[in-house]
Amino acid sequence: MKKAFVRALGIAAAVSLGVALTGCGGSSSNSGAVSGGGDYTGPKVDITFWHGWTGGAAPTLVPKLIEKFNSEHDNIVVKNVPQEWGDIAKKMPLAIKAGKGPDVAVLHGDDLATYAAQKLLLNADDIVKGLGYTADDFPPGVFDAGDYKGTQYAIPWSVTPLGLFVNKTVLGQAGITDIPTDQASYTAALEALKGVGVQGEWVDGYVFTGTFEFESLLWQFGGDLYNKDVTKASFNSDAGVQALTWMTDLVKNGYSPANVAQDGNIKALLAGQTAFNWNGVWQTTNSAFADLDWAAAPVPQIGTEKAVWSSSTHWVFPANKGQDKNKTAAAATFVKWMNDNSAGWAETGELPAANDVRNDPTLVQNYPNLQPFMDELEYAHYETVSPGIAEANALVTTAINEALNGKKTPQQALDDAAKKADQILKQNASKYGG
Amino acid sequence: MADIVTTPAVAPQRASAGGSGGTRASKARKGRRRTLIAYLFLAPFLILFLTFVVAPAIFGLWISLTDYSPFSDVQNFVGLQNYIALFDPNSTFSGDFWQSMGATAIFVVLSVPCLVLVPLGIALLLNRKIRAATTFRTVFFAPYVLGVAVIGVIWGYILDTQSGILNHLLGLIGLPDNIPWTVNVPWVWVTLVGVTVWWTMGLNTVIFLAGLKGINGDLYEAAALDGAGAWRSFVSVTIPGLRPVMLFITTTTVLASANMFGQSYLLTRGGPGNATRTAIMYIADQGLSQNNMAPAAAMSYVLFAFLAIISIINFRLQRERVERTVA
Repeated sequence: MKKAFVRALGIAAAVSLGVALTGCGGSSSNSGAVSGGGDYTGPKVDITFWHGWTGGAAPTLVPKLIEKFNSEHDNIVVKNVPQEWGDIAKKMPLAIKAGKGPDVAVLHGDDLATYAAQKLLLNADDIVKGLGYTADDFPPGVFDAGDYKGTQYAIPWSVTPLGLFVNKTVLGQAGITDIPTDQASYTAALEALKGVGVQGEWVDGYVFTGTFEFESLLWQFGGDLYNKDVTKASFNSDAGVQALTWMTDLVKNGYSPANVAQDGNIKALLAGQTAFNWNGVWQTTNSAFADLDWAAAPVPQIGTEKAVWSSSTHWVFPANKGQDKNKTAAAATFVKWMNDNSAGWAETGELPAANDVRNDPTLVQNYPNLQPFMDELEYAHYETVSPGIAEANALVTTAINEALNGKKTPQQALDDAAKKADQILKQNASKYGG
Repeated sequence: MADIVTTPAVAPQRASAGGSGGTRASKARKGRRRTLIAYLFLAPFLILFLTFVVAPAIFGLWISLTDYSPFSDVQNFVGLQNYIALFDPNSTFSGDFWQSMGATAIFVVLSVPCLVLVPLGIALLLNRKIRAATTFRTVFFAPYVLGVAVIGVIWGYILDTQSGILNHLLGLIGLPDNIPWTVNVPWVWVTLVGVTVWWTMGLNTVIFLAGLKGINGDLYEAAALDGAGAWRSFVSVTIPGLRPVMLFITTTTVLASANMFGQSYLLTRGGPGNATRTAIMYIADQGLSQNNMAPAAAMSYVLFAFLAIISIINFRLQRERVERTVA
């Protein structure tokens, strides 16, 4: 009894502690216009930079870039604060409200609106103008992901589309040398692989890959996740059902085993058990590929139009309580410098967002595997911009999981998820102030 | 739990022992000083308990009665609205919440009998005079010291449907080698219960073992003289002797199972669909990730109410038996 009490209180404590911390900051609405300018000329300032790059090449690359920046700027000292993305999501809103947040940070595209709606970010319209950025400097659609209700809150930094990873040795077992590009050639390849006892694409019902594959297919069949003003789910449209049915048919037709666990498909590709895996550009720097005869290609066009899922990361300027304008101006200078010097960023398995950096021929010479992903950017779709959208997006994954596990038909699974998502969207509208 | 059981037996003894000397006034003074010293020693824990358990709990209760949101500056008192919403089938939360409560109940019903009977059996075996008993005790207790993240990684590798070693071994001996241990029902439940039993049975085993050591050996001797066999002496001596321990173990195990989080979070991701998403998983998601703190606080109090009721029932049932055997 006492133990029960303590345990239940523990839960309540965890919930309420979070609440308490969030509550004490008060709101810091801020439209403080900070002119970015190409170069910061004010007094010497220290600025802190939060980001979530803790794996791969980033932990050595970021400090190197910052060191170089600091040595080139006498009046700015950037302090590098890396931490897990999950920790940033938990800490940063509270820190900003308490006036202890960073002066500049990097966030994922689908987080921007949630932060903007909570008034945690500075209006960056003037900074963007001052630095001379327009939507044309980035791949189509990326710049707009930083736009919430007509205000620009972010500057793009990197993009990470989905692609097709191919184990060429396995593909060769079926006598195929050309990587398929459309539905006919892709199905033919899967059929030929089946003929030699290989299940060619293992499809799973989890983030990341199952969900991203579904979303790519949904767009390829002409659908969209939500309606234009994100008040209603539309992923259960005919296009959505076609997309999910195509995925469940992979299992039904014997091209994929049933019940693939999370990441089971990339492991199978690496182990030579399957030929294709739809996965993100970040896998191009996966050292496990070193001993493999592999290739990357754009995802095949299964539907009626070209489309592919992509995520993005963006620079933001937090609206700390009492934010120093000089620091924000210095941060803007840092952002511009980083974007201009982001060629080496490809080493981390992400594409630099700035067009002039990405289109420099030396980039592909150094990282040839990035070419197919760069080719996809013309028709890439980025994550939905709407506060609290992650909760609705999670329902899509649940639906895919249910359909692939045979719990529900694709139509039923998507309908159930859409009904629930509509409720969440309505709730978000009131929660984040419409 | 155990102290509640023994209190009635101890208290009268102390009262009678105190009557053996000294005036009434000096006795009272001595008693006051003793109480004061006791409180002094209890103070550090008490302060932590009040600050980090009681105060947040009261704050949480208040949150559950408001429309608390980190995005608004004013919190409005809404009475029981958050609780009523949990029982309203048209609300956003009720369907998912009760589904998660159902998943929790399934896990409790499946896991508690295993977590009581298996450790009891092992404790009985370890209690015999066997060679290397200490080694075995260590072997059974060892998994308990591992963190849930480690358990998740280890069993994730073992149980993977396509590349897991368990399915591979099953295939070698001619059994089906495509069992979806972590991906599909009913296997996910087998996995969660099996992994939890493997992971936590060591603690219950050690407690049972201590209980067994506490049973007077004369009783077994007497039973043997009366012609009782192994089964009879188990039923008539061991089981009654273990009742206080049994009460402690069933109560704590029910509560631990009802609070299961890490295993399904790491191994099944709450799937398939949301079938293994437990109440704690859902509450944590709603309260900490989705910023629905007021409904999440209400949910945690509903869960608490359920656990309190179950604990009281469990306690009542077993206490009566304890008293009957004493009498």
